[in-house]
Amino acid sequence: MAISFKQIEDKLKTEAKGLLETGKVSLVLAYGKGYDEKHPMPYAAKNAADAANIVFNEYCAANMARYLVRYPRGTKIAIAVKAADSRAVIQLIQEDKVKREDLVLLGIPVYGIKNFKTGEIIDSKTTGGLYNPVLYDILLGEEVHGQPVNSPYDVLVQYEAMDNEARWVFWKKEFDRCIRCYACRKACPMCYCDPCFIDQNKPKWGEKSPDSQGNLMYHLTRFHHLAGRCIDCGECSRACPVDIPLYLFHKKVAKECEEMFGQAAGMSIEDKPVLVNFRVDDSDKILA
Amino acid sequence: MLKKTSISEISDLAAQLMGKGALIAPVREEAGFNFREISDAKQVDLNFYNTIISPKSAFFPQTEDFVRYQTGKDILEATPVELNIKPAFLFGVRPCDVKSFEIMDIHFTGTGAVDPYWQKRREAAAIFGYAFDLNTPADGADFYSTLGIGAADPEGSDVFMIKKGDDLLLKAITPKGEKLLAEMSVLSDATPDDLNYFDDTVAAGRAFKTRFTCVEAKPIAKKFEDLFGNTEFWEKVSNACLSCGACTFVCPTCYCFDICDETLFGKGTRRRVWDACMFTDFTLEASGHNPRTKVYQRLRQKVCHKYSYHIRKYGPISCVGCGRCTRACPVNIDIFSIVDEAMKA
Amino acid sequence: MCLNNPYIPMPVEIIKIIDEVDTHDIKSFRLKFLNPEDEAKFKYLPGQFSELSIYGKGESPIGIASSPTQDGYVEFTVQRAGAIVPGLVTAALHDMDEGAKIGLRGPLGNSWPIEFLEKKNIVVVGGGFAFTTLRSLINYMLHKDNRSRFGEITVIYGARTPGLLLYKDELIQWEKRNDIRTVITVDKGDETWTGRQGFVPAVCKDVAPSPANTVAVICGPPIMIKFTLPVFFELGFSKENILTSLEMRMKCGVGKCGRCNVGYKYVCSDGPVFSLAQLEELPRDF
Repeated sequence: MAISFKQIEDKLKTEAKGLLETGKVSLVLAYGKGYDEKHPMPYAAKNAADAANIVFNEYCAANMARYLVRYPRGTKIAIAVKAADSRAVIQLIQEDKVKREDLVLLGIPVYGIKNFKTGEIIDSKTTGGLYNPVLYDILLGEEVHGQPVNSPYDVLVQYEAMDNEARWVFWKKEFDRCIRCYACRKACPMCYCDPCFIDQNKPKWGEKSPDSQGNLMYHLTRFHHLAGRCIDCGECSRACPVDIPLYLFHKKVAKECEEMFGQAAGMSIEDKPVLVNFRVDDSDKILA
Repeated sequence: MLKKTSISEISDLAAQLMGKGALIAPVREEAGFNFREISDAKQVDLNFYNTIISPKSAFFPQTEDFVRYQTGKDILEATPVELNIKPAFLFGVRPCDVKSFEIMDIHFTGTGAVDPYWQKRREAAAIFGYAFDLNTPADGADFYSTLGIGAADPEGSDVFMIKKGDDLLLKAITPKGEKLLAEMSVLSDATPDDLNYFDDTVAAGRAFKTRFTCVEAKPIAKKFEDLFGNTEFWEKVSNACLSCGACTFVCPTCYCFDICDETLFGKGTRRRVWDACMFTDFTLEASGHNPRTKVYQRLRQKVCHKYSYHIRKYGPISCVGCGRCTRACPVNIDIFSIVDEAMKA
Repeated sequence: MCLNNPYIPMPVEIIKIIDEVDTHDIKSFRLKFLNPEDEAKFKYLPGQFSELSIYGKGESPIGIASSPTQDGYVEFTVQRAGAIVPGLVTAALHDMDEGAKIGLRGPLGNSWPIEFLEKKNIVVVGGGFAFTTLRSLINYMLHKDNRSRFGEITVIYGARTPGLLLYKDELIQWEKRNDIRTVITVDKGDETWTGRQGFVPAVCKDVAPSPANTVAVICGPPIMIKFTLPVFFELGFSKENILTSLEMRMKCGVGKCGRCNVGYKYVCSDGPVFSLAQLEELPRDF
């Protein structure tokens, strides 16, 4: 079954128009035109007329959930969500950053989305092996079935084959080219801290200049702040102007977390965030 | 003076330049090309479109150490870091990036206080400009021709290079370039046919089009002055903006920096580090007041700085249309689309 | 390299610390240059500022509170920042004792436009902590070599409480002089306060200086400025004849680091002193 991007776009437009017209929501977070077709932009439709500007094509990789926290609490928002994006929304609901009743989730079942910088299909590296939104109010199209279901952690094979020493060398090399533009944390739907720890000057957690020490401090801390929270959308890696494969570390931590606590991030609004939920039968593996 | 070499023998030229100073040229890396100091002449690879990060880092590195000190020790024991400048050859710079140096010169050395670091590095360097390949269309993000910069403009370079089939033509543009080319024994003399090709390419470069129609600085500057208070416009164009620093860090004309004290185990360095007007804490005052708390205010600052304030203060637009910011943007914000939209507003 | 490098601070010694207010969070630091050539080079006018520099902590832009007529030292009045943004430099400075050595970069920025002020009557209006470069200007104008260059001088200065008034000894001296009119007010007095009570804008209205050949120089918290300006407009002051000093976050102090712009002006190098007429030309981005 091929995905009809045009059909999804039409449905997005129709639903957005209806929701804005009836006043059910005050904005719809979806995609709009960029400077060319291969570069669509995140878009916030604010009235029924805006709905006509919505686009959806194979380059609409952006996870719109990161914009939710930008609006005042209580704002009624409809949001277009692909599989990973819906997990971000769930995780944000778990963390009480947004309320379920304030949201209308426009679910997009889709595969074959491309990274607009490289043209590479993102399915195998990120999106957690899911094609259908985990949570939605309105599904824009048919659920996807019959696509190969990869384990989200398959891509870790090569990484896990490295011993600790090799991993250290690997990450040191990757982080060495970080320019500290912070596109990763800004693109991340779960990175909403204000101020971010790295921007604090008292205590000062890490240096501002992009040397290996500061880069390591920034990335390793950020990785661990996302433990049990990363929903595998891959936005951090795609946002990176120097292509650091940040998703690998996030995946590895997500895998450990899932193995230890039997819960993946953003899969159910009934769940509690795994690292703030103490259960007596929690794994003690980490202490061993 | 026009000279030539076979592109397959480019490493010989590189080696000869390395014998005279630091050679800084595009190097293929994981994510694409970047200007780096060459350690092995074979690294030089002219098979690039443009670098991810602009060549400004050759004169204005992301970190520049000012002073080293021991924490808790007397200020008199602190030692300013001496700039150890050797001749440098900045090799393979695209015409739009060459233009950026001229724009940065006005700010760093041409007006008010002189920045000694920019000045000394700039003086010690010779620029080897390199024409875009006119046989392949410009990247969709580029718009240098819109800003009046030709794809093969030699102005601003000391030596300008054009690819002709398997050969590389090198023309001396300044006396510094003349002297250099004369000393390069690996180069051979060009033919009259090469000279014609060179001149034709420069002319063709002027007709080479990137997107949008040409613009003039002053009407844009005025337009943005009028649009400053139009919050609706700025909120609309900044809706997608993540307020990260990717665009400013890859930009050849962004010059903002922070001055930081960084210490580790008692050893301290005062250094400057690139900063970005897109960061929330860029304008956060000690009093807690921040004039730019919102994303739209920060994007407005960036766009207006380049297309309005800079024109009013220094003359030229502070943008060369290299397209780096657009390519680097995680959400595809395109500065010239904003300018275009503003002119229509 | 050090010579003509605007980023390298000059070493100075703290020779005197004055605890200015009863909340003990504002102190004046009197600094002496350790190198005589630095001192000779440091020629400033009232209204300029400097970067106070402590290695390991950073730098903080502070207005010069002394007057160039005071030889042998330069003085800065510094508030300990930190309620919202931890102020590393000001905190470190406040913890220092006399004899400590720090760095100084400057003088930076423009100044109060002395030539423009000459032969005119001057009304100085200050609120709270923002009185430092005004004090420099007043002491400059009051100096015996300069007094005749200026017309009548009126000073209106207010603080929230008597204990928060800066430079108390000097205020008493000025009140005794007959070549300057000094009007001191506090928002709320205490049992010992016998002077005026009331907000600065109301006092300005009450004092009602004539706009004829007069320039108003106003510094204070934003809320004071907001309510004081209409009073001066009503009195008939033109926007060219109202001057103020802007605050923005600064780093380099020499117009290079790109941080403190308001429109096409850098506050650190084109300012910090602007007339209201100049400010109206700039976007409201401060």
